[in-house]
Amino acid sequence: MFKGMPKIFWIGMAIMYGWCFLFMGLEMTIPGFPLKKFLGVPACYIYNMIFALWIVPTIISYIFFKSEENREALLEKGGN
Amino acid sequence: METNPIVLFGALAYFAVIFGIGWYTRKASTDANEFYVAGRKVGPFVNGSALAATYFSPASFLGLPAFIFLLGYPFWWALVGIIGGMPIATLLTAAPLRKYAPTSFTDYYADRYDTKWMRLICAFPTVICGFTYVILSIIGTALFMLCILGVPFTYSVIIASAVVFVYIFFGGMVATTMSTAFQGIAMTVASVTAAIVVIHHFGGLNGLTDAVIANNANFFNLPYVAKASHPLMNMWTGVIGFFFVWHFGFSAMPYTVVRFFTTQDIKAARRSVFWAVLIGGLMYMGLIVIGTGTRVLIENLHPLMADPNIGSAVALLKHLKAQMAVGGASLTDYSMIAAMDSLNNPWLLSIIVAGGLAIAMATAAGWTMVLNVILGRDLLGKVFGMAWPEEKPVQCTRVMTVIIIGVCMLFSFEPPGLVLDLSGAAFIIILCSVGPPLIFGLWWEKATTMAAGLTITIMTFCSAGAWLYAKFTLGSAHWFFLSDKANKISTPHQFYWVFIGLAFFIILSLVTKPCKEEVIQKYVIDLRPER
Repeated sequence: MFKGMPKIFWIGMAIMYGWCFLFMGLEMTIPGFPLKKFLGVPACYIYNMIFALWIVPTIISYIFFKSEENREALLEKGGN
Repeated sequence: METNPIVLFGALAYFAVIFGIGWYTRKASTDANEFYVAGRKVGPFVNGSALAATYFSPASFLGLPAFIFLLGYPFWWALVGIIGGMPIATLLTAAPLRKYAPTSFTDYYADRYDTKWMRLICAFPTVICGFTYVILSIIGTALFMLCILGVPFTYSVIIASAVVFVYIFFGGMVATTMSTAFQGIAMTVASVTAAIVVIHHFGGLNGLTDAVIANNANFFNLPYVAKASHPLMNMWTGVIGFFFVWHFGFSAMPYTVVRFFTTQDIKAARRSVFWAVLIGGLMYMGLIVIGTGTRVLIENLHPLMADPNIGSAVALLKHLKAQMAVGGASLTDYSMIAAMDSLNNPWLLSIIVAGGLAIAMATAAGWTMVLNVILGRDLLGKVFGMAWPEEKPVQCTRVMTVIIIGVCMLFSFEPPGLVLDLSGAAFIIILCSVGPPLIFGLWWEKATTMAAGLTITIMTFCSAGAWLYAKFTLGSAHWFFLSDKANKISTPHQFYWVFIGLAFFIILSLVTKPCKEEVIQKYVIDLRPER
């Protein structure tokens, strides 16, 4: 199952789920966690709205296509 | 309600661009390859923007802010789940499906599982959910038409159906891809602009947060550490459940998967996911801000709140529903527009209306194209052997478009649920039924025809049955359908069926007859990344 799936896929999954469930867990164990100030604003805007929602998925999708393109370029070089 | 000329101008400008693109690209839609898969020549940015516009529907633009308005901060995680699930598609489905390069969603099932009847089996849940999505898109378009023209909801539905029909009828995949790419930008600009105006209105994120807490002290509360923001968010299953309802959709929903077929090559398919995440994530950040501020904006600023009979945002929405003769279950769907209306800025409202029309029409077009191909080319042509869909593909799909839009218009007069509820039901049914045979079919040699057929059939009935049973016996599809009425467990949209479907498919595949070796070689091993 999933034979041939690039390793970067599992690394990306670990980063995405790790980030989301870490902060979800902190929110359910530390009272008022989303509203604790970070960089001058409630922390939830930083770790949830900006990072979990946008920055982390964007970086992961970038790494996914870029690493495959690099790998294919190397294969092509090796073939030549 | 009266028509505001500035809002009308915004809508007309949007339509001018959309129909301009349609006119410019009309000659490209004359043969089957161009009509179905845009000649496989779409670049990554255009495809990524089109992917975002198609994937995100009125369920996103209207429904997500409405659910943040209803359920509070914990629902933000649902939006994270949606965007966070998008990169998965890059390597899981986009690359192998583009390598295989089919024409239709059902092609893979028929080829991988080696029987034409698989087209019929997987068409069953896809068609049900496709119709649901076209209905919610027409409802969304109608709610924006209602805001623009101020006419009763019934007329808005008719006008919305006509607009969507004309758009698709003359479009095909080329026109819809090009104009949908523009729509992706339009909806993101609208959402981000509205968010900036909301933040500016409250003097920053701290001001917005303070105003929200002053209005509703429980808004930011999570389960276990304080009184929950809403009974559905009273336990972890509610938060996690909403995270997963739409999470895997980008990898397996037919209306996004088919857009991977239209790209120039595998590289473009993978890169298009990146652009879709970039554009979609920005739009969702805007929707979070809008949804968070919705209740406080309506209750503090909306002119109708001066009426002593209207004491809350929900009461105001009920009043608007009665005033505009909105039928069925639609109520909070209008909350986002009402919140923007509260800011008394017609230019902002015109941008929101243009963005809203963009997102609704893009999704309606995406799903109608999927249904056109399944009902015409796949079922009439490939399964029942009729020559018409192959000989005259454009005529066939146009006849299907008439039928689809006509039927969906009839259901839209009395919306059967909130747009986000319709979307959630469609996602769960598709993801637990046709999802496992697609994912495991691509990545597992042992996936069998029997497992695919049984999983699609049984999971469709189980998930739809549980969803309907919960809705009609417990009052909401978000409670576990076998819950005791006095002690209900939150399981949004019966999301667990997605995981049951995956496990069910694996177990059945292990105990049933494998597919032929040459089939596995061609549709599993040959589609893997080159080593």
